[in-house]
Amino acid sequence: MGEREPRRTPIFFMSVIIFMLIMSLAALLLAIEAYLVQGKLEIINIILSASALFLATYMFIQIRRRSISLGFETLKVSTIIQCLKCDYRNVREFEKGDYILRDAGSCPKCGGTLIIHSIFRESKEKD
Amino acid sequence: METAVDMQVTLQVSTDWLFQLIWILAFIFIWVYGQKIQTILTLKEIEGSLSRLKNMRDRGRQTVISTIKEIGKPAEDPTPRVDRLLEHVDIEPVSLDPTGIIRRLEHIIDVRDFRLKEEVRQMAPQADETQINNLTNVLEAALALNHVYKVVRHYYLMGKKTLSFYVILQIQMLLPLIMRESEAFANALKAFTLGQPIGDGAGALVAARLMHGNEKRLIAQDTIVSETQIEGRKAYVIKAKGPGGNVGKPGEAIKQILEEEEGKVALIIMIDAAQKLEGEKAGEVAEGVGVAIGGPGVDKYKVEEIATKYKVPLSAILIKESIEDVVSTMRKEIVDGAEEAIDRIKRIIRESTKEGDIVIIAGVGNTIGIAQ
Repeated sequence: MGEREPRRTPIFFMSVIIFMLIMSLAALLLAIEAYLVQGKLEIINIILSASALFLATYMFIQIRRRSISLGFETLKVSTIIQCLKCDYRNVREFEKGDYILRDAGSCPKCGGTLIIHSIFRESKEKD
Repeated sequence: METAVDMQVTLQVSTDWLFQLIWILAFIFIWVYGQKIQTILTLKEIEGSLSRLKNMRDRGRQTVISTIKEIGKPAEDPTPRVDRLLEHVDIEPVSLDPTGIIRRLEHIIDVRDFRLKEEVRQMAPQADETQINNLTNVLEAALALNHVYKVVRHYYLMGKKTLSFYVILQIQMLLPLIMRESEAFANALKAFTLGQPIGDGAGALVAARLMHGNEKRLIAQDTIVSETQIEGRKAYVIKAKGPGGNVGKPGEAIKQILEEEEGKVALIIMIDAAQKLEGEKAGEVAEGVGVAIGGPGVDKYKVEEIATKYKVPLSAILIKESIEDVVSTMRKEIVDGAEEAIDRIKRIIRESTKEGDIVIIAGVGNTIGIAQ
């Protein structure tokens, strides 16, 4: 299983982004200069500057690596222990070896048999 | 003074021209190479996902090896054997002549299950039956992650080689779904390692609740049945043998009971987890008719055949959950859904059968973490 790691530095796209930013800055400077020297508002240069800035930002967002979630998050899993005779019920954290309907000793309230009634995780996701 | 201003204006006009020329060239470049740029951007996106898939695959492989070492205490290093098993392939039976395809498919599935369990048994000599079943489940989840990674890598490399927008587009469109499923399998590794009940076991949980405290017997491979009284009717409750990771053979079990009772069964009720649609709530319960069993179709076919032969009505109760929930540790909503399913079973029995009738109730799904 010794295949190569995918390349991580997007040099080409970083160059394009830098080029776009330079063009945006140049268009903006030209617009400012025209306004100061001739007193006219150069809409074309302002639009060009804004669109180059937008394009550079868009490309940067596209190539930006998302934070790596590997699906190995620790989930909070609970075990519910219940008495078969009375209403005794205890919730604790899941322990290795727990399974549903496993005997869990005797009830501290009535001496009846305790069983693991259910095991579940608290879910954060919305349906 | 005026000459200096004139010169400045002339300079600005020529700079403007040069600047506009650069813009026009840039525009032509994007016009000609736009799709290529988009293709490379898409490849970058796939590359990121591929990197995540590779991490999941490697972590899965590592989990299998460490769990086998921890539980099975093997004499030799299981790594080469695990690597070999991760490349395991199943070849489907030929479908050109469909006669008897179900029987042939069942045989291949049985051989596969037997082979995987035997391999795990040899790698983990100290593991008991429950642990062998759980380890087999861990191995299957790692196998699925490895397969997904390799398929995505195939399309990525194909796209990179050909720079064909349409090859890349195919995988890019499916990538969100593939990632969701892979993350579910990555979470499943933990559940299988610890032997926690998973969402797929919703049907098995319902059956376990109904048969708890009654006599049980083995009716088919890894499948148990228990006789109980529900609402004054004799009920045969079927589930896979737990608490190890098993799905059993519910189809075979139903067939056996119907043969034993010579078809004198008033109703078959099957309970299974079903994939919910977006917008539906996890744990929602739905009712219907038909055979509620997923998978390759062998058990479904058997139940349909035998129920049709004896003209036994089939009821289905489905507990809704997302694709991620199916192989992840069971959610609270699904446990609540299982409790609701029990009330529905009782209502269906009261409404559709008479006292003294015989009913079969089958809880379908992986029974990991659920005893009986």
